Amino acid sequence: MSEESILRVEGLVTQFSTDRGLVKAVDGISFNLRRGETLGIVGESGSGKSVTNLSILRLVQSPPGNIAAGQVIFQGRDLLQASEEEVRLLRGKNISMIFQDPLTSLNPVLKVSMQIAEAIQLHHGQGRKAARAKAVEMMKLIGIPDAERRADDYPHQFSGGMRQRIMIAMALSCNPDILIADEPTTALDVTIQAQILELIKNLSAKDKTAVILITHDLGVVAGMCDTVCVMYAGRIVERASVDELFYDPKHPYTRGLLDSIPSVDLSGPDRLYSIPGAPPNLIDMPDACPFAPRCSKVMEVCARSMPPETLLDAETSRSVRCWLHTKENRNA
Amino acid sequence: MKANRLTRNAIAMTGITIIALYLLVIFVSTFWLPFDPVEMDVDHLLEGPSLATGHLFGTDEFGRDILSRIMKGTSISLIISIAATALGAIVGTTMGTWAGYLGGLWDHWLMRVADVMFSFPSLLLAIFVMAILGEKTYNVIIAIGIVYIPQFARISRGAILTIKSSEFIKAARSNGASSTFILRKHLLPNILVPLIVQVSLSLSVAILLESSLSFLGLGVQPPAPSWGNMLSGARKVMVLAPWTAIYPGLAIVFLVLGFNLLGDGLRDILDPRLRNVR
Amino acid sequence: MGKYIATRLLSLIPVLFGVSLIVFFLVRLIPGSALEMYMGTQVEATPEQMIELQRIFGEDKPVLVLYVEWLGRILKGDFGYSLRTGRAVLPDILSRLPLSLELTVIALFLALIIGIPQGILSSLRKNPISDVLNRIAGLLGLSLPQFWLASLMVLAFSNTQGWIPMGNYIKFSDDPLRNLRMMILPSLSIGIGLSAVIMRYTRNSMLEVLQMDYIRTAKAKGLAKRIVIIRHALKNAILPVITVAGFNTGYLLGGAIVIEEVFALPGMGRLALYAIYQRDYPVIQAIVLVIATLFVLVNLLTDIIYSLVDPRIRLDNGAKHA
Repeated sequence: MSEESILRVEGLVTQFSTDRGLVKAVDGISFNLRRGETLGIVGESGSGKSVTNLSILRLVQSPPGNIAAGQVIFQGRDLLQASEEEVRLLRGKNISMIFQDPLTSLNPVLKVSMQIAEAIQLHHGQGRKAARAKAVEMMKLIGIPDAERRADDYPHQFSGGMRQRIMIAMALSCNPDILIADEPTTALDVTIQAQILELIKNLSAKDKTAVILITHDLGVVAGMCDTVCVMYAGRIVERASVDELFYDPKHPYTRGLLDSIPSVDLSGPDRLYSIPGAPPNLIDMPDACPFAPRCSKVMEVCARSMPPETLLDAETSRSVRCWLHTKENRNA
Repeated sequence: MKANRLTRNAIAMTGITIIALYLLVIFVSTFWLPFDPVEMDVDHLLEGPSLATGHLFGTDEFGRDILSRIMKGTSISLIISIAATALGAIVGTTMGTWAGYLGGLWDHWLMRVADVMFSFPSLLLAIFVMAILGEKTYNVIIAIGIVYIPQFARISRGAILTIKSSEFIKAARSNGASSTFILRKHLLPNILVPLIVQVSLSLSVAILLESSLSFLGLGVQPPAPSWGNMLSGARKVMVLAPWTAIYPGLAIVFLVLGFNLLGDGLRDILDPRLRNVR
Repeated sequence: MGKYIATRLLSLIPVLFGVSLIVFFLVRLIPGSALEMYMGTQVEATPEQMIELQRIFGEDKPVLVLYVEWLGRILKGDFGYSLRTGRAVLPDILSRLPLSLELTVIALFLALIIGIPQGILSSLRKNPISDVLNRIAGLLGLSLPQFWLASLMVLAFSNTQGWIPMGNYIKFSDDPLRNLRMMILPSLSIGIGLSAVIMRYTRNSMLEVLQMDYIRTAKAKGLAKRIVIIRHALKNAILPVITVAGFNTGYLLGGAIVIEEVFALPGMGRLALYAIYQRDYPVIQAIVLVIATLFVLVNLLTDIIYSLVDPRIRLDNGAKHA
């Protein structure tokens, strides 16, 4: 069961200094990623999921951002302590990232073949011709018709789905160990979403690439992930395998997310369920459970202090951060 | 970050300070000038700056005190600059706003006219207009104002077009708001930002245009002192008396700099996109 | 590409038409008709002579007819004759074109090599204090009146030989080195101000571009900073700079009036100025028309260069594929 761990994040804290105060976007995140595993990070906007991933690659703009604490262990090294140069050498080569909006994430004035080939040139030291050939190969692999001719086209000449495929080609061109996909399908049509996810799944299975998939859509998680972390207000509130999460969610927030999914067999004129309230303001958060104001199962202790992370199963690393599930309260 | 908001303000504040100094000079000059700016003093031609004679910036080729002339010229230059910019801004913005809002043929023809006006380099156009109207000081206002009309028209039209199709206008319309109401409450506030920045920059260019015109003899006519025509007179004698060229020029540079600083600083402060830039 | 150019050229025609209209009619508005000025120096003329003079000076027909006739002649290449010198106007203008062109090109070149690197460096904002100082220096460059700068240069170099044209203009074709030496200062007078404009636009554009998502993508690929800035950022940021550089260049071709005056350079701007001083209508009409036309053509050229750099404009005709 224990495949080798390829990435380990411990106690990551990333903050942003704004005019109105210090925003703790990520407040103590830890997770472990195994080789070939697909890890899903789920949460609403503002939960800190994107920032977590930018922090791994140290792409957080600083100022105003700042990685205040934690470790990111990759290949035996803590990336947060390494030099900028060392981290740069890993980007695109060992750890790649694709972003949410393929229209704005691709450079409009450069040919797509160039954008794919540059990473190849850089990391594999190949010349321009060889790199371009490889880029065209990648384009064929990801399903772009007439790749040879279209390699000289520009991003605006492709549809949204195609552009995202190009992003994927860019990211996977150097066979990275880890692919971080930040909401890769959010900006796309539903019909295209499935294709893109399928593509990611197939390509990563081929080379045993670990994938960190960030999304707010539980449907995506169900189809793609092995393990899931649920984030709320900068912390991981539940961690489980995908089956466990869907069939036996522990944290009230997770329950709420699952309940919010409209079901096809809704009978009668019931209203759609949504979690009451709104996500918290991340500035000057008190020492309490951040979900307490919206929780249907809130207890007195929830407003007084932050619940610890309780390990539910040492083997699978299943855990939950909730007062309901601490040793004392569970047995009570 | 707080430090950056301050530096952005620092630029605008420096600009405002400089402009305020000039305004102070205008205020003072209405009551008092060191010497009479048009009085010629043949005994003291082309004298260098000295505390002893009281001519802090020296005298020119007619023995007139340069400092006094510079001070007097401040009012003239600023009045022309403000009036011309106001003229261009009001006429141009009206044109551009209606063109943008009404669209269709109005838009098409008004912009054709603007295009044609744009085909002439500003100074040339101003010279041309001065030649038609006659070389009187107040015509400078009209000449520069005319140069500015297409610029303001284009800016306001552009701003209107950007907003015209945006969602909240459609929402207002669907709520039954009338055209004038929409214009007043929604569109105008939104074009204010680019307009304000443009006004500040236009003020600076107006001073340069006016002094260029005066330099060429087509602007403010002597003996009225304009920094431009002071420099024109200085051309013949500046090798002997460099102060005749240096000080009037400096006067222009700093006032223009003041307006440029203000415009740049305002743009920083008012532009929401740049607000997030560290 | 060719289609793009052709369409743009066609759209120029109405504009030039409008320009010719304005030029012709406005010139008529200039008080003190040439005939009057001419008469001022002559003795009384007989009625027959007056009619003849009126015909020569073009005052015997309605304005509209005169306009059409003038336009017809222009299109055939006949730009008329100077009232002052009697020489054909067009050759005169054309003989001055190389000078104005040279001045413009050198000034533009100086402005670009100073302005763009400065703008890029400034946009990287390593140090907030030096950033502010840089911006103030840039704005200072914008605030220097050209004629003052030019006058100061004349002052500074008045004793040194060969740096100031002052009526002894030597053509490039005759003696390149001496020509360049005397064009440096005038070009610099223009170039300093222009470089400040370029620097500002470059800086602002870079600042915007550096915030873009695709820059983040480029960094995520592990590309070196230098490559990110030059290949990814600059290529996008340069677009508005091209537009503004082109616009200013067009302006310079006819707008360098003051510089030409201060340095006594026989360029087109100076010709226009003196023609206006002297109410030499044929010359005024012709040269203002030529300057405006050049202006418009330079703007077209700018648009074409722009479209070469920005594939989105160029390939707008290419339909989106799958």
